Amino acid sequence: MAATDQKSKKNISGLLIESLGIERVVANLLEFEIRTDAISWHRFFGALNIVFLVLLFLSGSVMAFYYSPIPGTAYDSVDFALFNLPFGGIIKGVHHYSWNILLVMMGLHLMRGFVAGAYKPPRQLVWISGVIILTVVPMFIITGDLLPWDQKGYWSTRVRLSIIHSIPFIGDFTVRFIQGGPLTGIVALTRFYVLHTLFLPGLLLLAVGVHLHLIRYRGLSEPLFGNEKTICRISFFPDFLNRWLILFLIVTIVLGLVSHYWTAPLGDPADPTDSTYIPKPEWWVLFLNQLVAIFKGPFSIMGTVVIPGGLFGLLAALPFLDRSAERDPGRRIIVMVIAAVIVSGMTGLSLMGYIEHFVSAGK
Amino acid sequence: MKKNLSMYLVGFFLFILSVSLFNVPEGIAAAKQTLTAANAKSAPAGIDDQVWSTAKGIEVPFEGKEQFAGKKASVITKAVYTGDSIFFLFQWADPTLSVTKEAWKYDGLKWSHLQGNEDRISLLFEINRINNFATKGCAVTCHVPQGAPSAKDGKFGTSSEAEKGDLWHWKAARSDPAGFADDTWLTKTDLKNSGRKNDNGKGGDKSNMTDDKAKPKYMLAPGKELAKNNILLASHAVEISNYSVFKAGDIITYRMPNMPEGSRADIKAVSRWVNGQWTVLLSRKLDTGNDDDVAFNPKKSYNFAMALFDDSGDENSYDSETISLEFSR
Repeated sequence: MAATDQKSKKNISGLLIESLGIERVVANLLEFEIRTDAISWHRFFGALNIVFLVLLFLSGSVMAFYYSPIPGTAYDSVDFALFNLPFGGIIKGVHHYSWNILLVMMGLHLMRGFVAGAYKPPRQLVWISGVIILTVVPMFIITGDLLPWDQKGYWSTRVRLSIIHSIPFIGDFTVRFIQGGPLTGIVALTRFYVLHTLFLPGLLLLAVGVHLHLIRYRGLSEPLFGNEKTICRISFFPDFLNRWLILFLIVTIVLGLVSHYWTAPLGDPADPTDSTYIPKPEWWVLFLNQLVAIFKGPFSIMGTVVIPGGLFGLLAALPFLDRSAERDPGRRIIVMVIAAVIVSGMTGLSLMGYIEHFVSAGK
Repeated sequence: MKKNLSMYLVGFFLFILSVSLFNVPEGIAAAKQTLTAANAKSAPAGIDDQVWSTAKGIEVPFEGKEQFAGKKASVITKAVYTGDSIFFLFQWADPTLSVTKEAWKYDGLKWSHLQGNEDRISLLFEINRINNFATKGCAVTCHVPQGAPSAKDGKFGTSSEAEKGDLWHWKAARSDPAGFADDTWLTKTDLKNSGRKNDNGKGGDKSNMTDDKAKPKYMLAPGKELAKNNILLASHAVEISNYSVFKAGDIITYRMPNMPEGSRADIKAVSRWVNGQWTVLLSRKLDTGNDDDVAFNPKKSYNFAMALFDDSGDENSYDSETISLEFSR
């Protein structure tokens, strides 16, 4: 009886696969094997990043059902979803904490890849696609910041737009293009909403898809120590996917509990006439904010474009700047020193920004 | 070449760090005050409860307007909350106890009103969002002109029906003797219609005056006692049948507090004036379930603004900026 059921199920699933014309895709999926250390104690940032991205997509989708992208009602719709909707606080909290942790995890993922020399041939494009993802994610945060239409989001956006506006030649056009005119009003909110929920997710899906395809095509970077041939392989479906789902469940439960206890912040409603409000920069832009504060007047372009752009350019061009086959960090002293200086510089500037905006300002 | 590149980069970042050391932070605007309600296991027993000595308070500055223009005042404000109620404690200096509120005085021949008003403190919360209240406070509520028909019921309200405010109004003469603060709310106002409404139920005060407005109509009923500060409660009053019992110098309350009922009785008050200082404790359910009250959710923060009246009426007050109320976990 059980065997008959199983046969009929197979027939149904087989018929479905055949009808959809995805036999080859399914066969490839079932045959696809992945290294067991793809999710392990020493390599899990990539898998964790996917967990947070999925959580962001899911929580964002639910929030979109209740969001009204109009300045007069945006704040109230977010407030309603956060405090009146069953589990609304948890959903908003998961969204809020996910992007914060995602940024940290992406930084650690990048750092691990850097130390392990994961950008070395033949994985240059894997690295570059990762850097592209790293540029897209902050755009989500920047566009998402305005959506609740609260004081912090509104004035942070105004500050960012004024920084963009200061860029010679293209600044004014870029700001007008982004916000649909000279004012940060209803058109700007609509555009930010469309960018946040349509354009950027599409771009990110594409970038992540390319990144994963390249990882499959070029393989994961070999361990720095030990023999890669001794690492076993497991099937992607269902073994690897089950591991990932366990990770997903653990993260979701932990974030749900955190969100239940520490409600995601929602500031005062935006008041465009209140020019006395000075937004405190987010932790992840403290060093950029400090750069803007350092370079003023005719040198402002250094802090707004040249240095941040140069750093991203350096990051993307790394596989072509450091072309040696050597992966042992102990034998890549120059590259490691440069990276240490850059990270120290960013950390130092962030600390100064923190002291300026959160310690000194509170006195 | 690689060594040169690394040296340039090291030098460049050291330069940025050194420049930033000399960078003077730009001025930061005065941040909005935040009152954090401490979480208490049980309700405070009164204004002397130990919880108030441990609760962290804020000193709220007030700016005088109209007759107090140019003057300043301050109120120490504290808050605690339990599983179902919230408690506010206010302390401010006031050299004079003002509870006269035009009380009647008999000079042996005729009755006349004493000069003098009462001390008050009021709080305004948002029931539904009032546009820009979070940043501008009571200044965004609409104030209608003195002579407008709607002015007699209170000269302010909101600019649309969607915007609703919850006004807590503690009055030393007209509500405190009954043990309550007057619970009212704000909605849209214009020249004809007042935006200030009473919560459902009964409350307020009752004028003690004969039809010809020449003398008091009521006196203390036999067997009853005057309330705090010798105020006659409406529920303890009886119509005067024989005015010959009064002697020169007798004083009778003009505005007799009613015992509030229903939603208007939500805010309980305890107070003390001693050594030139008012201490007022207001308490209310976090969520009364009434549409005319703000429902407090301890996970959320709320904005409120206050006004202080020193023996004054109308708009002769000291006003605070908007304050943020948060709940500690």
